[in-house]
Amino acid sequence: MNFFNFFENDFIVVLPELFITTAIIFLLSYGVIYSTSSSYNYPILSVNVSWLSFFVLFIAFLLCIGNFLSSMVIFNNLLIVDPFTTFTKAIILLSSMLCILISLNYMEYNKINTFEYTLLILLSVLGMLLLVSSYDLLSLYLGVELMSLSFYILAAYKRNSEFSGEAGLKYFILGAFSSGLLLFGSSMLYGFTGMTNFEDIAKLLVGLGAMSDTVSYSGIVIGILFVSIALLFKVAAAPFHMWSPDVYEGAPTPITAFFSSVPKIALLALYIRLYFYTFFDFITLWQELFLTCAILSMVWGSIAALAQKRVKRLMAYSGIVNIGYMLLGVASGTITSIVGLLVYLVIYVIMTLGFFSFMLGMQNYKTTSLNVYLTDLTNIGKTNSTVALAVSLILFSMIGLPPLAGFFGKMYLFLAVMNSELYAAAILGVLSSVVAAFYYIRIIKLMYFESSKTFTLYKPMDAANSYVLGISLFLLIIFFVSSDALLFSCHRIGLLLSL
Amino acid sequence: MFEYPSILLSLITLPLLGIFVVLLIPQNNPNLVKTVSLWTSLITFFISLVLWLQFDLSTPKYQFVEHFFSVPYVNMNVFIGVDGISLFFVLLTTFLIPLCLLASWDSIKINIKEYNIAFLFMGSLLICVFTVLDVLFFYIFFEAILIPMFLVVGIWGSRERKIRASYQFFIYTLVGSVLMLLAILTMYAQTGTTDVQVLSTITFSTDLQMFFWLAFFASLAVKVPMVPVHLWLPEAHSEAPTAGSVILAGILLKMGGYGFLRFSIPMFPDASIYFTPLVYTLSAIAVMYASLTTLRQVDIKRLIAYSSVAHMGFVTIGMFTMNIQGIEGSLLLMLSHGIVSSALFLCVGVIYDRHKTRIINYYSGLTVTMPLYSIIFLFFILANMGLPGTSSFVCEFMILAATFKSNIFITVLAATGGVFGAAYSLWLYNRAAFGNIRLSYIDNFQDLDRREFFVFLPCVILTLIMGIYPEVFLNVMHSSVQHLVEQIQ
Repeated sequence: MNFFNFFENDFIVVLPELFITTAIIFLLSYGVIYSTSSSYNYPILSVNVSWLSFFVLFIAFLLCIGNFLSSMVIFNNLLIVDPFTTFTKAIILLSSMLCILISLNYMEYNKINTFEYTLLILLSVLGMLLLVSSYDLLSLYLGVELMSLSFYILAAYKRNSEFSGEAGLKYFILGAFSSGLLLFGSSMLYGFTGMTNFEDIAKLLVGLGAMSDTVSYSGIVIGILFVSIALLFKVAAAPFHMWSPDVYEGAPTPITAFFSSVPKIALLALYIRLYFYTFFDFITLWQELFLTCAILSMVWGSIAALAQKRVKRLMAYSGIVNIGYMLLGVASGTITSIVGLLVYLVIYVIMTLGFFSFMLGMQNYKTTSLNVYLTDLTNIGKTNSTVALAVSLILFSMIGLPPLAGFFGKMYLFLAVMNSELYAAAILGVLSSVVAAFYYIRIIKLMYFESSKTFTLYKPMDAANSYVLGISLFLLIIFFVSSDALLFSCHRIGLLLSL
Repeated sequence: MFEYPSILLSLITLPLLGIFVVLLIPQNNPNLVKTVSLWTSLITFFISLVLWLQFDLSTPKYQFVEHFFSVPYVNMNVFIGVDGISLFFVLLTTFLIPLCLLASWDSIKINIKEYNIAFLFMGSLLICVFTVLDVLFFYIFFEAILIPMFLVVGIWGSRERKIRASYQFFIYTLVGSVLMLLAILTMYAQTGTTDVQVLSTITFSTDLQMFFWLAFFASLAVKVPMVPVHLWLPEAHSEAPTAGSVILAGILLKMGGYGFLRFSIPMFPDASIYFTPLVYTLSAIAVMYASLTTLRQVDIKRLIAYSSVAHMGFVTIGMFTMNIQGIEGSLLLMLSHGIVSSALFLCVGVIYDRHKTRIINYYSGLTVTMPLYSIIFLFFILANMGLPGTSSFVCEFMILAATFKSNIFITVLAATGGVFGAAYSLWLYNRAAFGNIRLSYIDNFQDLDRREFFVFLPCVILTLIMGIYPEVFLNVMHSSVQHLVEQIQ
């Protein structure tokens, strides 16, 4: 029996990952050889490689949704592929494609001339894909690390900016710390159970909750706690959120867009796999942890955002609030909450990318710089009224006003929370969403109601950004009319996951 | 009988169609924009009259019921329909939207296209609110109105304070209604449906009823508005453009009262009876306190806004007497207030357009310069204080008579509030219309033009009809209200 026969189907199932890996190698050699060639006058390849990566991701997306084997555990139980992973991988690939689209213009004007930029995005996407389908604590760790290591570099990508360097360093130190916690938790789990596979752990934990006075029980509890805290660090939930405003602020803006959307999908998918399947029998333990973190994130995120003066920091806190809602969904722990979470995630990503495409598309006509402070947004309602209307609708959707998709995301999430009878948390959640409404409508107020004497003249928005803005707005509005496909597929996924 | 299969649906879609047409008109042709949107709203109004003509007076059931929307995932089929309670709210909406568009024909000078779109959109949403037979979708449309209204107050409002006003309007409404959303979601989690017709056959446990009632109250009381949460109203009213105030006072406030009648009272009867003293107390405070506050306002719009608070206090008192007379009285008062206070806001709009101020002190002797206007203003001032022969008299009398059966103390308080109402109304008119002309403030003047006259005329006629022969309106409500009262007992 040779090697390839043994893994016969495995390679078919991981085709998207394999394709991305190969493409990275090819693009890397292409970039290295071509950009240093003196006969071609050292061409700048960043936009070119970005488009190539865009198509790589698109093909990977096709490979991903074309996966005909519905459910399979592969590579010696290291990875799993099932409808849930296919769904989340598809979303990850699509939103990374949009992320690349909205950064094209930025690259051109901010002189990001090194082609490694998009390759790092591709590498982190690869990490996320592995993370989503990880079925073992080891592959989980490797996926997280591949993702995070690329992120550290991306955060520090603007070499001549102090903020960017600070962002990279902060992200690296806290990221390394949380990875340490993750490793420690995993080794505790391994030490007390002797296994690292999700399925094995899930089987072992059934009924272990009753033996709460044994030594191995407390060891497992400590293991789960450390793993959970490490993962809470990664999504920037409230007591572990300190890095996120600084990193968001310092990183180049398209990278901020990337950070605030794509890794959240991968990590939340991991949460669902880990807590709704592997650690499900310890729900009393992690439910409290997540409830605490959710409430802290919602309350603190929405209050702290009120004091922000910079748009990207504001979006960082808004991200913390949103993670709070999602953790509330995780804490409710039912099939309804899987549906709520997935729908919320999709809508959140659409809204975030729409907003960032606006941030990246509004270039000052003279200086070609982007808006940094909230007060820079004044008068956009008068100078660029259509854009302002689109962004207002996106912001209304973030507040959660009804006919827009943001409301339905919150609705399905809170439906799950009410199903699990977490009434106090739900009331705190909706009240903090009112506080959050305050800072979202502040942006609308700045764009429309306030007038300052200096009118900034903007360049016409470039095609890629306006397409992304348009797509996002269209999806947010159309959700009211036709949401069934998404809802039913999420429901099916939730059912299959909890079988 | 001849059937009109999709009359409600056409009422909802017609303004949307109008929006689509308006969107296609180029920005540099504002007159066409105004004309198209006015005709759209007028046609909507005439179609809505067919509802009244075809309405079957003998049944409390929902009529013109149509399938509106379905969400298969949550197994939700939403229907729209009207009964005796909601019919006149629909008519009031379709009646006021063209008036709003006409009233701001010349006074709105920026973003005319967006302005008209906002009003048509609000018209469509409001008809949805009053016809949809589903709690969740009621909430959805109820909240959706925040978006256009927030922009209307913020963009076309008059002064710098408009930002504060739009914020207050937005946040107050949102705080209340998110709690209502939680109640609706719990209701769905408990019963698996949010259809009103199904829910009205279900009796919730007393504890749940209390929770639901309070959560609904948090949202509806802000909209009505009841006293401790009424602060947004004077702000929003005085800062909004004239047409915005008309929509606010005329229809948006009625969503609160409608919500009480449609959801709180029939679905949570035990809790409603339990909390009646609370509502009575708050409403009596509203009537007394708002009337007294009204006496010391200097801004005419704020004055009328506070008088709205007082009148809506009457409405909630009447509603929670839970007998036919009281509920019909409060329904009729909502209608009458929708017309009278809208007309009063339009009156203020007329002089604001000419003199650019709403401070009472600057006005004096309007009878000399604007005789026609003074007559109409006097008529609505008298209607506002409840003079016999005008609409408010009938409804206030019905409400007081109904309250007298259940709680004499509240009746006395409410009636005293009526006296204060006469005081502030007459004093306002006295200061603004009589006295000498202040030539230092007013150097050129003009009476009502034809457009303004025809805006006021239908309001005058309706107020008189409602005051002299209210049976036209009441006989539509009888069977539905009777059914409602039977449900409670």
